[in-house]
Amino acid sequence: MSESIVPPSRFPGLAAKVRAFVIVAVLLPASFMALVAYKQGWLTPHTRVHFVAANALGISKGMPVKLHGFVVGSVTDMRLSQGGVDVELSINSEHVPSIPKDSRARLSRESGVVGAASIDVLPGSASEALAEGDRLGFEPSRGLSEIIDDLRRQMAPAFQELRQVLAQMNRSGEAMPAMMKKLQAEAEKLPETHDAVRKFLHDADRAVAQVGDAAKSADRTAQSARGAVEHVDAQIPALASKLATTLDSLGAASAQLRQTGEEAREALRAARPAIDRSESAVREAGEVVGAVKRVWPISDQFRDAPERTLPIDSAEGRR
Amino acid sequence: MRALPFAGIVLLGACASAPPPPAPAAQQRLAEAYARGAAATQSANLASAARDYEEARRIARSVEDADALAAAAVNLSIVYQRLGREADAHEALAEVLDRPRYAYPERRLAQAELRRSVLLLAGGNPLEAAAWAQRADARCGACELLPAIGNVRAQVALDTKDFARAAELARAASDSARAKDNRAEAGNALRTLGRARLALGDAPAAGAALEQALQIDHALADPRKILADLTELARVESARGDDAKRRAYFDRAIAVGRALDDPRAVAQLEAEMSNSGRPAPRAEPASERK
Repeated sequence: MSESIVPPSRFPGLAAKVRAFVIVAVLLPASFMALVAYKQGWLTPHTRVHFVAANALGISKGMPVKLHGFVVGSVTDMRLSQGGVDVELSINSEHVPSIPKDSRARLSRESGVVGAASIDVLPGSASEALAEGDRLGFEPSRGLSEIIDDLRRQMAPAFQELRQVLAQMNRSGEAMPAMMKKLQAEAEKLPETHDAVRKFLHDADRAVAQVGDAAKSADRTAQSARGAVEHVDAQIPALASKLATTLDSLGAASAQLRQTGEEAREALRAARPAIDRSESAVREAGEVVGAVKRVWPISDQFRDAPERTLPIDSAEGRR
Repeated sequence: MRALPFAGIVLLGACASAPPPPAPAAQQRLAEAYARGAAATQSANLASAARDYEEARRIARSVEDADALAAAAVNLSIVYQRLGREADAHEALAEVLDRPRYAYPERRLAQAELRRSVLLLAGGNPLEAAAWAQRADARCGACELLPAIGNVRAQVALDTKDFARAAELARAASDSARAKDNRAEAGNALRTLGRARLALGDAPAAGAALEQALQIDHALADPRKILADLTELARVESARGDDAKRRAYFDRAIAVGRALDDPRAVAQLEAEMSNSGRPAPRAEPASERK
């Protein structure tokens, strides 16, 4: 029963081959991952600094950090702290020597209130450069609500003046009917005066035809004046009523406009976090797709077809 | 331990992807012919480039690839013109523009029309060149050919002595070329603008435009265009009455002409330089001929 175990001769060196295969199978993905890590900058040394903001509105993880408009790092972490929100930035160590120690951070957008958000590093004047763990000052930027408030503050005096002018016009409209009544009373006395003049002329000298003609002319003029006054008198109350209605409508429209502005401001304030999140998601998705496109096995699928024609040069038209 | 090889195989299988389907043999040969033609054109081996593009045209005809056929025609018109075979250059385009057998893509038709306008302009027929440039413009819309089309129209205006119109069109072509980041056409536009300003008697403005053109052509390292810029700058200095600068520009232009091994251009420049600043007959054409 002391027979030694003889390995089967059908698969000589099978264990060694399997080991070699496993080593290759592990090394290949590992080197692939290393290549991806190198391309993505995971192996690039970074310096971590931080700043404390009053709130995290508009700031998100992965947001780019820019120095003079050039991306030098990103927001890596955010957590609640004593003075607000502690935001950690990871800055490419290559750029750290050009950032003075007293630099400040500011949340900004590409086009003022809209566009991609980023953290701008505003370089200070210190001779010493930023170091690992340093705290930057934070300069809050003006948001949309602040800008709307500012606009409202500037517009308020103008609206007040407009309101006063409208009220004054309204008061002038109220005084108009009294004035018209006096005018009407005076106009009503015109026939009596006219009769007296006619009687006087009749009694004075019938032979003076020119005077008679003049009296007739004066009569016609007086009639016309009375007609005009009566017409104006009839129109004025309706006009004053319309003016008052218009002023009321203007006041209501102004109030509605103010209310709509307030509602729009609230809606914008409510939508802003969602916009920030979607913007961040789109940016991250774009970065992922870009990175995937650059990775070796896939990059071949995204090569552009070469242009078949030579460049057409208009200078070849010179004789 | 037994699971490790299996896991490795699964991982490798996951990493693998199906290879793209191979292109048909004719398309591969077509692509190779285009690549060889482009390389030969770049190295100024124009006879070889013509053979390559003729081969490409033959393959494209055999597989009825309309896009490739039109592209080959456009390339052959460029190469034949540079070889001095203008009739062959026109004939290459006629297959696309005058005897169309296929529905060519609009972009290729616009390229062919622009090439025909360039050939007509070079052949001294500015009015027909203008008509073909107009057709290319209508077909192109806002395509990448817009700066070149604008430059052809500006050159037509220059050739028909409408210098103010030429300056206006060249300025627009320059803006369009900058917008499309086409430095070659931006340089061409500035050169035409300089020529138009000089013809209008505004030598300082002409000099400024030509200096900018020269900077662009230095960056592009295009010796023919550098030669043209230097010649025009010499004429600007002649108009200004600065003989020293005029001679300096002519010296530089002659040096470039000698380096290009273009004795005809050198002779014309030397004649113009010694002619008290007056342009020698047909001095301008040789300075820019490819």
